[in-house]
Amino acid sequence: MRPFTYTGAKNTAEALQAASSNANAHYLGGGTNLIDLMKEDVERPDELIEVASLDYKKITSNENGGLTLGGMLNNSETANHRDIRTHYPLLSMAMLSAATGQLRNMATNGGNLLQRTRCPYFYETSMPCNKRVPGTGCGAIKGMNALHAIFGWSEDCVAVHPSDMCVALAAIGAKVEVRHPNGSSRMVEFTDFHRLPGDRPEKDSNLLPGELITGIHLPKPIFSAHYYYLKVRERSSYAFALVSVAAGLQIQGGMITKAGLAMGGVAHKPWKLVQAENYLAGKMPNQANFEAASELAMNEARPLEGNKYKVEMGKKSIVSALTQAYERKA
Amino acid sequence: MTNTLKAPAVGAAINRVEGKLKVMGMAKYATEFSVENKVYAQGINSTIAKGEIIAIDTSEAEALAGVLAVITHKNAEKLNHFEEEMPLLATTTIAPVLQSPKVNYYGEYVGVVVAETFEQAQYAARLVKIEYKEDSDPTIQFDESKSKAIKPKGNSDYLRGDMEAGLAEADETLDATYITPIEHHHPMELHAIIASWDNGKVTAYSSQQMVNESTIAIADTFQIPKKDVRVITPFVGGGFGSKLNTERHVTLAIMASKMLARPVQMTVTRHQMFTNTGMRQHNAQRMQLGAKRDGSLTALSHDTLSHTSTYQEYQEPCGMISKMLYKVPNNQITYRLIPMNFQTPFAMRAPGEATGSFALESAMDEMAWKLKMDPVAFRIKNDTQIDLGADKPFSSRLLIECLRIGADKFGWENRPMQPRSKQEGNWHVGYGVSAASRKSPYLKSSAKVLLKLENEKVYATVQMDATDIGTGSYTIIAQTAAEYLGIPVEQVTVELGDSKFPITPGSGGSWGATSYCNGARAACQSAIATLKKNKNIGEDQEITVAKLLKQNKLEKFEAEGTAVPSEAFKEHSVFSFGANFSEVWVDKYTWMYRIKRMVNVGAAGTILNPKTAYGQIIGGLTMGVGMVLSEQTRVEPNFGNFITRSFADYHVPVSLDMANVEVIFLPEEDKIANEMGMKGIGELGITSVAASVANAIFNATGKRMRELPITPEKLIEAPVEPGVLA
Amino acid sequence: MGELEKRKKNTGSDNLTEDEKKIFDQLGLKNGASRRKFLKLVSSASLSVYASSYATSPLFANTAKDLPHHQRVMLNEVKVNLRVNDRLKPLTLDSRTSLLDTLREHLALTGTKKGCDHGQCGACTVLVDGKRKLSCLTLAATCEDREITTIEGLADGNEPNAMQQAFLKHDGFQCGYCTSGQICSSVALLEEAKNGEASYVTEDFRKIETNLRLSEEEIRERMSGNICRCGVYNNIVQAFKEVHSGNDEMPSWEFATKEQMKKAKNS
Repeated sequence: MRPFTYTGAKNTAEALQAASSNANAHYLGGGTNLIDLMKEDVERPDELIEVASLDYKKITSNENGGLTLGGMLNNSETANHRDIRTHYPLLSMAMLSAATGQLRNMATNGGNLLQRTRCPYFYETSMPCNKRVPGTGCGAIKGMNALHAIFGWSEDCVAVHPSDMCVALAAIGAKVEVRHPNGSSRMVEFTDFHRLPGDRPEKDSNLLPGELITGIHLPKPIFSAHYYYLKVRERSSYAFALVSVAAGLQIQGGMITKAGLAMGGVAHKPWKLVQAENYLAGKMPNQANFEAASELAMNEARPLEGNKYKVEMGKKSIVSALTQAYERKA
Repeated sequence: MTNTLKAPAVGAAINRVEGKLKVMGMAKYATEFSVENKVYAQGINSTIAKGEIIAIDTSEAEALAGVLAVITHKNAEKLNHFEEEMPLLATTTIAPVLQSPKVNYYGEYVGVVVAETFEQAQYAARLVKIEYKEDSDPTIQFDESKSKAIKPKGNSDYLRGDMEAGLAEADETLDATYITPIEHHHPMELHAIIASWDNGKVTAYSSQQMVNESTIAIADTFQIPKKDVRVITPFVGGGFGSKLNTERHVTLAIMASKMLARPVQMTVTRHQMFTNTGMRQHNAQRMQLGAKRDGSLTALSHDTLSHTSTYQEYQEPCGMISKMLYKVPNNQITYRLIPMNFQTPFAMRAPGEATGSFALESAMDEMAWKLKMDPVAFRIKNDTQIDLGADKPFSSRLLIECLRIGADKFGWENRPMQPRSKQEGNWHVGYGVSAASRKSPYLKSSAKVLLKLENEKVYATVQMDATDIGTGSYTIIAQTAAEYLGIPVEQVTVELGDSKFPITPGSGGSWGATSYCNGARAACQSAIATLKKNKNIGEDQEITVAKLLKQNKLEKFEAEGTAVPSEAFKEHSVFSFGANFSEVWVDKYTWMYRIKRMVNVGAAGTILNPKTAYGQIIGGLTMGVGMVLSEQTRVEPNFGNFITRSFADYHVPVSLDMANVEVIFLPEEDKIANEMGMKGIGELGITSVAASVANAIFNATGKRMRELPITPEKLIEAPVEPGVLA
Repeated sequence: MGELEKRKKNTGSDNLTEDEKKIFDQLGLKNGASRRKFLKLVSSASLSVYASSYATSPLFANTAKDLPHHQRVMLNEVKVNLRVNDRLKPLTLDSRTSLLDTLREHLALTGTKKGCDHGQCGACTVLVDGKRKLSCLTLAATCEDREITTIEGLADGNEPNAMQQAFLKHDGFQCGYCTSGQICSSVALLEEAKNGEASYVTEDFRKIETNLRLSEEEIRERMSGNICRCGVYNNIVQAFKEVHSGNDEMPSWEFATKEQMKKAKNS
């Protein structure tokens, strides 16, 4: 690990001030991803500004009639919060599929959004990676890409976003509240928060330098009766997804009135399946419609040499997640 | 309190005698001894697969505060070297390092940094700049390099009968190739050492499975007398084969200590655990079987293509099992090796049997399906009490009993003959079986026993250079001494893992328990015999060891003993046998699967302690679950590095992956194997899991999976076998 | 009185032989209290695992105690008051030092293990303010004002706690290297179950209850963050169950009966 100065920020102003005065500083939340990457010599900040103890650790009511998750609240407390479990069980389920009890006790909500890819070319400093060192090329596109993107990738980067929480947030819909070093706040639509790699794969999100995530605003309670988070992986726990699906349904009078559907492990950002969502609205919740939606969802898939399996796996997983969401006892 | 002559110590399910230290966090592993003035070393690894170092810039690293030395091939001391080309790798093989600018594989050590603190050493290692001249043609892709295969020096090819004739007389034949990937041992304790060089003498607190072999390897590497090397390893945080050899980090730490005149602590990283050690190599095993309609095998060939390094030879004996497990008149075993630009592979738990049994026991299942025979009945039909490969009788072989008792317990009669015909909700359900076998060696082993009479009680201390790598050595040796001295086990102290104690073969190859316990037995018997002889007491006369000491007017007495295998042992083939039954549920949508339950039956002679033996069996089963479910080290095709480079990409099984297991031991005492009637059990468990699960997956889905691991991405694309109703 | 008893009585005092003192020094047990604690822990069967092996080690006899320490130059010093197992330790550390390395290399609390150093195995699990966390990904600098409990702090005096005893009884370990993490994780999980926390395999997230009685599937999922390469998960589940629900059934091994053997031979 490279040497760094440690700044324990007492309040938000101090943290923002420290960040604005050092372009090589990095906020430190739970550290579950950042410290790992620093040990790997992938992240090389020369200053860490501790923000996990800042006072964004509550779940509060918001302007939408929904709840706002504090940016520094940890994943365990968020997923297990009575109101989240009751009103947004899809979010709880996705969050609890991630990592382990120990890691969820450490990881912050803001940090979860900023997790970096698990692409091995990104992790191994002796191999080329445009995300780690722009201009070095993408090792994965001509190398091993079984775990990589089937949507939205570019010649410069085929990495996928590793978060489970974000997949549920994409299905549910959310806004991210960020503070700028100049003190101002702004709200970012969740689907606009992360970005596709294009020719700037080093940028995972649309966050500006020094901006700090302080909260995640959820909409009114949604998909609280019919929800399922399906995670396909090589072992049954403590593994990143090959493919994951967050599925939520609102059903009234036997008809789907609204569907929330997003996938993980398939793109540089949590992949919201808008066409499939739209298709399902107004349809009966049955196998034929679920299958039709899954076909629509996968229409634009562009698999790489090593991950063709993800297309079929994606379809099947969408059908399975929708079925399990629907069949859940309301 | 009086000592009872025959305390029933062997066979009792006692808790581990060292257990309290472990659950309290007090057991000390290699780098946990408090050594004054120690410094920290961090290895640097090559980032090319083949070529040469042309320039090294250490200036930035050396300028860092706290950095004491950067050692590369330019300033490393000259060590012993290999005399011949492609020598065989063995447990006493020297471990020279940093001897030339040549790079043989990605991840080979090219330097080491020593600093005052761990953080400084880690950082400084990143700052050493190395320039390479890369060779354009490294051998890194197995499938494309088959034409480079050589016949191994230790020629293990074997033929009995006539394969062609055997296949010609068969009613059904099978020709299938089974692939197993590179795997790594990954014990939880990283390879670690605190080394000290002091006036030509070496002390190494080093996590090793074989103490004596390690002293030899260190002495030979540094060309110093073996007596000047002390290896200490009282607790070993797992080995599984990876700590059999004395790996290069040991050399690096000793070399650094010699250069700096300070004790050097070196812990390899989890990433380096992929290259610092041996590994189970990638195997392609081609199986040809011929069988008559009645189920009798007419021909069996097992041709293994593997790889070794470009500088040493190691051959995993995958075909060994096909030579001995079944009665088949025509039998061929061959081995070919591709020298590749990776480190030399070496033994990982049940080398040969773990991978060989996946091939053989999958092929047996395929043949049973062709013959429309029950797979248990098919195996029983081909049972043999003679090891046809060695032309010797088995000392004991209860394979049929294992299969039948296991089948009963498991409910095998509920297995549908027709694959893909049993479903539960969204799950395909299937049953599978595999036979298990593992050679049970017995090697010369010595021990010293120190007796002390105090307040009418005899306290005994047993000393051996044996190791306890989690296998229960402390406990079963204590039980053995208690049994043969006739004293309560609480009065026995066991001291292990130090080269100043009598020599044993170390822990590996399923010989540990047999060799250690018989060594301890021999020492105890020798003590009693001497004490009796001194007082002209008849050998058969019953008398407590306390009375013996008193009659000898001794408060203290010590004796050594050595156990060696008998002539009868040498005249027989000695194997442990078993059978494993698995029930697997495969998700129709995602193709993830769960192993719902397993029944495992083992026949391994006298069970010294059912509690620790059960642990050994489920430990083997769990590692077998990893083998079939997820474990594989993938090679990057353009760079030749292992791209599965951490515990986040190399998936060993977790608690939720493991099934409920019922373990049944058969009551057996194999007195031909050794005087105590025991056989090895540490590797038996792993030899039957992969095939039993793969066979259950076939029974559940009709998909025949011939490549490990069996992952959802492979299953989803695999076709249903012809003849199975989809 | 036996020698062991004598030693137990006289621990940490000047009655120790030179060799014995040396052993304690090597084990990092510098004061009487920690020496007494250690000796009460060990049975006769394990004490001399240490006793004779190390007393005569030339390594320790010859370590250069007078080497200068001026090279231990530290960059980016941080001062942390670390509260570990109810003791406050003021430390000056390199800002990069993880909690794990602080425990092992600076406080001689080596019970907490380094299995991967990257948050991928759980061997370094400790309790921070009662919650299980990974000490390898925690910077010591962030631990000011936190209450840290390691495996060494779980026992009630010299008696292993209920979870430690259950691991011993059910053989919930082999090599012992993941054991500290497994036990710390298990202790925290008892609390999580009491608090009614959910897991990925929980049937219905909206049903909120406290004092959960965890199914085997739930225990396995929630303990999946602690890898045991020796593969004794089944025994660990059994040990946890015993403390969690009082169910103390032993692992499922059995010996085949004579009847079974006879039937198998003859059928």
